[in-house]
Amino acid sequence: MGTSVNHRVSSFAFLALMLVSFSCQDFLDKKPQGQLLQTSFPVSQSDAALATNAIYANLRNWYYHSGGYPILDIMSDDTRKGSSPADQFSTVGPYDNFSINTQQDGLDRWWAAMYQAIRAANIVIAYVPTINMPDANKTQYLAEARFLRGIFYFDMVRAWGGVPLVTTPDPPLTLARATADEVYSQVISDLTFAAQNLPEQSSYTGNDIGRATRGAAKSFLAKVYLFTKDFVNAEKYALEVINSGQYNLQSDFADATGINGNYGVESIFEIGAKPSDGTENGGDQYANTQGIRGAPNRGWGFSRPTPEFINSFEANDPRRDGSIIFLGEVLGGVKTIGDPATPDTTKVNGAIVEIECYNQKVWTPGDNVPSQWGHHRRLMRYADVLLMASEASNENGKSAQALTYLNQVRKRARMGNNAILPDIAQTNKDLLRDIIINERRHELAMEGHRFWDLVRTNKAASVLGPLGYTNKYSLLPVPQSQIDISKGRLTQNPGWNN
Amino acid sequence: MRKLLLISLLTIISGAAIAQEKVVSGKITGKEDGQGIPGANISVPGSSKGTVSAVDGSYRINLSASENTLVISFIGYITQTIAVGERSVIDVVLEMDDKVLDEVVVVGYGVQKKSDLTGSISSVKETELLKIPSFNAAQSLQGKVAGVQVYNSSGAPGASPVVRVRGVGTFNNSSPIYVVDGVILDDISFLNSADIQSMEVLKDASSTAIFGSRGANGVIIITTKQGKMGQEKAVVNFTSEYSLQQVGKTIDMVNGKQFGALTNEIIPGTYNNLNALPNTDWQNLIFRTAPIQNYQLSVNGASSKSQYYFGVGYFNQQGIVPKSSYERLTLKFNNTYMLTDNIKVGNNITFAPSQQQNAPDVVYAAYRAQPLRAPYYADGTFGAVPNVGNPLAALEYSNSFNKTMRLVGNMFTDVKFLKDFNFHSSFGVDLNFGRSSNYTPAYTVYNPDGTPNQQQNLLSSLSKGTSNSSTWLWENTVTYMKEIGEHKFNVLGGYTMQQTTNEFINIAGSNIIRDLPELRYLNNPNYFYDPTSTPVVNNLAAINNGVDANLYYSLISYLFRVNYTWKDKYLLTASFRRDGSSKFSPANRWGNFPSFALGWNVFNESFMENIKAITNLKVRASWGTIGNEKINYLKQYSLITANGNTSPVFGTANNLVSGATFDVSGNPNLVWETTSQTDIGVEIGFFNNRLTGEFDYFNKQTKDILVPLRTQGYFGNGNGALITVNAGTVLNRGVEFNVAWQDEIKGIKYRVGILGNTLHNEVLAVGGSKGIDSTLVGGFLGNGQAATLSRVGLPIGAFYGYKTAGVFQNAAQLNATPHDANADVGDLIFVDTNKDGKITAADRTYLGSPIPTLIYGFNMMVGYKGLEIMADFQGQTGNKILNAKEIVRPDPYNFEKHVINRWTGEGTSNTEPRASFGGYNYSISDRFIQDGSYLRLRSLTIGYTLPEAWTTKMRVKQVKFYARGTNVFTIAKFTGYSPDFGSSDVLSNNIDYGSYPVAKVYTLGLNVTF
Repeated sequence: MGTSVNHRVSSFAFLALMLVSFSCQDFLDKKPQGQLLQTSFPVSQSDAALATNAIYANLRNWYYHSGGYPILDIMSDDTRKGSSPADQFSTVGPYDNFSINTQQDGLDRWWAAMYQAIRAANIVIAYVPTINMPDANKTQYLAEARFLRGIFYFDMVRAWGGVPLVTTPDPPLTLARATADEVYSQVISDLTFAAQNLPEQSSYTGNDIGRATRGAAKSFLAKVYLFTKDFVNAEKYALEVINSGQYNLQSDFADATGINGNYGVESIFEIGAKPSDGTENGGDQYANTQGIRGAPNRGWGFSRPTPEFINSFEANDPRRDGSIIFLGEVLGGVKTIGDPATPDTTKVNGAIVEIECYNQKVWTPGDNVPSQWGHHRRLMRYADVLLMASEASNENGKSAQALTYLNQVRKRARMGNNAILPDIAQTNKDLLRDIIINERRHELAMEGHRFWDLVRTNKAASVLGPLGYTNKYSLLPVPQSQIDISKGRLTQNPGWNN
Repeated sequence: MRKLLLISLLTIISGAAIAQEKVVSGKITGKEDGQGIPGANISVPGSSKGTVSAVDGSYRINLSASENTLVISFIGYITQTIAVGERSVIDVVLEMDDKVLDEVVVVGYGVQKKSDLTGSISSVKETELLKIPSFNAAQSLQGKVAGVQVYNSSGAPGASPVVRVRGVGTFNNSSPIYVVDGVILDDISFLNSADIQSMEVLKDASSTAIFGSRGANGVIIITTKQGKMGQEKAVVNFTSEYSLQQVGKTIDMVNGKQFGALTNEIIPGTYNNLNALPNTDWQNLIFRTAPIQNYQLSVNGASSKSQYYFGVGYFNQQGIVPKSSYERLTLKFNNTYMLTDNIKVGNNITFAPSQQQNAPDVVYAAYRAQPLRAPYYADGTFGAVPNVGNPLAALEYSNSFNKTMRLVGNMFTDVKFLKDFNFHSSFGVDLNFGRSSNYTPAYTVYNPDGTPNQQQNLLSSLSKGTSNSSTWLWENTVTYMKEIGEHKFNVLGGYTMQQTTNEFINIAGSNIIRDLPELRYLNNPNYFYDPTSTPVVNNLAAINNGVDANLYYSLISYLFRVNYTWKDKYLLTASFRRDGSSKFSPANRWGNFPSFALGWNVFNESFMENIKAITNLKVRASWGTIGNEKINYLKQYSLITANGNTSPVFGTANNLVSGATFDVSGNPNLVWETTSQTDIGVEIGFFNNRLTGEFDYFNKQTKDILVPLRTQGYFGNGNGALITVNAGTVLNRGVEFNVAWQDEIKGIKYRVGILGNTLHNEVLAVGGSKGIDSTLVGGFLGNGQAATLSRVGLPIGAFYGYKTAGVFQNAAQLNATPHDANADVGDLIFVDTNKDGKITAADRTYLGSPIPTLIYGFNMMVGYKGLEIMADFQGQTGNKILNAKEIVRPDPYNFEKHVINRWTGEGTSNTEPRASFGGYNYSISDRFIQDGSYLRLRSLTIGYTLPEAWTTKMRVKQVKFYARGTNVFTIAKFTGYSPDFGSSDVLSNNIDYGSYPVAKVYTLGLNVTF
């Protein structure tokens, strides 16, 4: 009996083994669960929309904002590190006193975030043309993607000069740095395509409000040409924006950056955000990073206006109080008390070097942290375009035209009080240039413009030199980690290593 | 008469009765105890006939007229050859094989006599396993097996130890696999040490290659207890243990006054009256003395047709930090039934529900908390502690629990057929059902001025998770065992399949309507609605459902092995396994893993007979390749990501509009990691094996190492994104030794042993064909700084940073020395290692290895009558530890005591720089590298067994009391809590991030056997 049972059992077992062996290829094919593969995306019009939307989402990435902390304003003469004295002392502090090194905190974050954004744009640019969908939609998505790629590279070329120029989703492994000129010509090509193919702002409704527009593309082109010192083109594009009839100045300066001006007449391109804690919930931490520290607890309090900046406003310029939150100030019914770990006044050798105050441009109504995440950062607003038009006109020898646009900005700043901020009548090109740059400082304060304005107008050495600036700071160091990973194929910027 | 009838019946059924045959029957018993030996082989030389003895040792065999000899053999006993003659009943008494080495050792898919082994395998028996009061049996391997290292990544209750066999051979998961009664597992936290019979550590390729793709990091085979055949009376065993744990040491920190003085140097005028500053010893406030309770009850026995073991265990460990604990119940059922003489079925099943409470990371917070902050205000509310939060408040508001139910077990059958063949089939499962719950009430800690501190939670928050994993493993093997004259064969072939799947659901919400444990549930739509509340109460805010990518794969394997022994002197093993894994693309899916080994029992040679002192001598050598596939299955795929982070906000109503884009790129070209290992070993015994020694040289090379590498930022994968590539080769080589002396003099039994291994770990190549990197950066400290650099010629995870050469004493010295722009007088001097006259990132250099060069243990035992004293020491040398908890200082944290010796002016200190809250002096440098060598009294046990005369009166077999200390003392230079810690991430090894310390434990125990 035993033997026959044995035989039967073993025969069954071997039979089972045979069956199993036949199906083993299927057994080893495990599809990724809950995951879509890159090879199957984007393949439809709705995929194209999703992929295009995802490029914009990068604008809410904390790292997108100069690596997280507002280092561009901190490096300028407008603000200091901020927060409490010891907070991020060794990470953000060195940007304030120009003692950063090639491994400085934030550099790698910014670099990687920009390329992450560029990749999202490259995906649309590479794959949308292969999707079967109406040409008009294709062009729209391509133009949005190229607009965004253009402004991403524009930030990178200003921060680092020539960077590896990636224009496909799958770049070669051996890419080296392009020249700054090559990056600029890519930026101009992208923005020009966008300017030709995007609709004007007024044609967007509903959930399309916030997408890139023709006006935004032209405004950024004007700015790019200012940086490349092509003032003819700068003037041309700035004037096209002005003459488009799409934009105007807000009557209240607070609305130029505030919540009531979200998607308003002055806003040319802004970053939409929800008042929710966390990027994944639709928030943008840009304003939280700079929000009031302590009471009310709105944020971390980085980028603190310097006494020199506070005192640099013309007499009674309402933009001073409109740009800076002082202790005791009541905003939206909430009194600003401030941070217990931050001295109200800091003196060195009897001189006041810092008073506790905060950036009002990022303020949103409320008394808590999440509401601060809902601030819409303006990347381009009409006042900037007017001042660019003014600056380019002056450089092109059209001082009358320059004064027209400059005085439009001053008129709004006056907000009806004719006793202050008189019209400018200066026509000397060099003197007027200084006046325009000074106007930019006060109109666009703490919006990330000042440092690069000083660098592009060759004023950085004289203005920032006393604060520690040296010429090598005209470009930031390439993150050491990137050079290390490239085995040195990526080279360092002048002055940073050798 | 009945027997005759039975025989007739069997004869008729088998239909093979032949007139000329004669029937021989009898019983095989052991000489020592007179008990029947089941499963002994009865064979007929020159014929294919054979049978095995039944459960009671009886056998029956038909012989033809010409067959006149029987060979009776059983593993562990001396084989007998018997002339049958005219006898029809032959009882055989087998004698135990006296050779000490002929203990039976469990190997992959079988057992072998130790003398027949060609591989390097170490056994740890049950008595050793119960010495360490831990929920995890792997703890007891520390200092017990040459070549095995056991670390603690955390001392928190329920934290599993990190086990390394023969070094670190991969940048990937370096943990061995566990084979529990034939079920292959990654984790044995469900197993009660008291249920374990033995643990065998398989180290060389000859032993591990049969596990193919899974054995590269070593294999630990665990056999659980079984009733002993012939032991018809049930044996009941009860153990009760109670332990107390304490933190072994605390870290020397500055006090409140000193902290105030240092702060005043950094930010002048911060504190006006240093004497008025409070002083809080935060470490003292968070640590407590905590108990462990451990109870075991087991019953085992056998009948003529079955064996059984039932075990119940309860383990409860409270943590030395409040609100941390681990509690586990284990139920063990092992049964075997002989259905017929040739068919056996059985099961080994463990059911283990457990619950763990996790404390928040207050150990690190207490280390960082400023001492001049009081824990409580006068009104009893929590005091604010800047930057880190009040650790006591963090504890108070923490409610974090994990519950798991684990069922691991198998059902198996053994069928003997065609005399020499055995078919074994086992179907095993590992079911793991986990639940987690984390609740934080709404609370606010206030600053002294009454404003809210950042340590607050505005709305109560609740998150819950469930995860469900299941693995099944079906293994089928056929074994052919044959002895022909002086030739012994053991051939194994098999086929196995495994599938692991998993699914989890996590939900999170906020604003729970009342702060009561019974209301910690989330509903959507809400059962509760409070119109005055924004957001709504019991608000379900997030759901996350998916598959744990590490627990979703399938495997198919074919295995083959032959063992051949000639004259008990010459041994040969060859094995081959072919594995297919779903983790790789179809083109790269299959891997082949061969091994080959030779052994020579020199002692059995005739020329050894004259050397009386030597009582055992064997040499062996093996080579083979083994794989490692411990990566998650998604690494080959390039995926799409779509979530809130990829979605823009558009429209005047701020709508989150869906977006989707490429996630981090995958690598479809991944192939197996392959380890080839050579092992040469000698086993020797002197003076009747009172002195024994075992020595092994091993050389292990792992190539095609799967490793997540940072890639160029311009690929656009995002900050810190990693891509897995086959990118390296690593060498581990060393010598293992295990020497012991045991004897008995006038009733005093004693044993001393020393064991250990040297280890040379070296990266031979980094960087794959993709040209990504020649170095592997790891050990990220969380502030952008990376502490380890693995590159050719250095160990895995080698520390790197600046070398220091004192402190700048004056401006003249500063100006005369290359220095960083941030360095000033009073700061550390970084060495210009590349001599380019500048201090740059390129001056960072090798600062030491996290991997010890010598790991050792020594054990002593003295026994006299019922009294027994055992001491186990364990230690290591040659490695460094990075004190990372001191480096990461974005905010003003407390200082370690040594900062008091800071530089305050020329000549004041050339080692300790001027006081600062962070920055330049806290760059990674040799200032933070410490010696990792230590020697520890791992356990000291004093046991007393009551004399048998007393226990017999009490009708009890044995009563034993014991007292034990664990981690009694540690000699180390390291300033942190405990120098034995590791990380499952081999690139971040021996970096002290401020983890939960390992405790000292004092135990009292009672063991009673009925």
